[in-house]
Amino acid sequence: MYLMSNLEIETTRFGKVTVDGDRVLDFPSGLLGFAHATRWVLLQPDEEGCFYWFQSCDQEDLAFVVTDPQYWVPDFEAIIRREQLEELGANQIEDAQVFVIVNRYQDTLTANLQGPLVVGTASRRGMQLVLAEKRWTTRHVIVELEAASAARTA
Amino acid sequence: MLVLSRHRDETIMLGDDIEVTVVDIRGDKVRLGIRAPEAVTVHRKEIWEAIRQENERAASSETIPQFAGEQSPQLRIAPAGVSKRKA
Repeated sequence: MYLMSNLEIETTRFGKVTVDGDRVLDFPSGLLGFAHATRWVLLQPDEEGCFYWFQSCDQEDLAFVVTDPQYWVPDFEAIIRREQLEELGANQIEDAQVFVIVNRYQDTLTANLQGPLVVGTASRRGMQLVLAEKRWTTRHVIVELEAASAARTA
Repeated sequence: MLVLSRHRDETIMLGDDIEVTVVDIRGDKVRLGIRAPEAVTVHRKEIWEAIRQENERAASSETIPQFAGEQSPQLRIAPAGVSKRKA
């Protein structure tokens, strides 16, 4: 019997992090430009936040901020082929979850909607998709930071 | 780089199971038909490259620590050790 144990991950940003072994996400092909980084964990900074850290288990200083695109872009759709879905151990679209990588450009936070991350919920296996549709860009603005800070000081 | 001349409707083989066919040629635009096994992903390079670059930037130490230190209401990054000092 295979026993899932806790896994200790060294990270540059958070120090040593302990996660359940079954929370590790396996990306067999890595991410675009990061083919070597195949094991990841999602770290949730706080209960209510909608941003997560997507931390590499293979490279301690490699982490992305990710978010659920549904929260920001309700009509966002990622097209996935049936074979890709099967690679993720998913039979139907409901068995997969989508995240997008967040970036910052000046006073905006942007989401890479053209290269979403898709994870099979049961298999915990994932991949980065490359969407052909031009409607979704790599820098879709989701937050205006200036507006956010103005509201805070008001 | 290997350079081949092909006419319309002619095909090249890549390995045993990938076919690239010139479907149409109009001015400076060529339409290609690609037949490949399901496991092979086919992308327009500029899109692939844009996503790769966006990944690189999102992972770069200049972008993320700043971002994590930002006090946006939605960005309460809790774990210890996250600050601009790490940059």
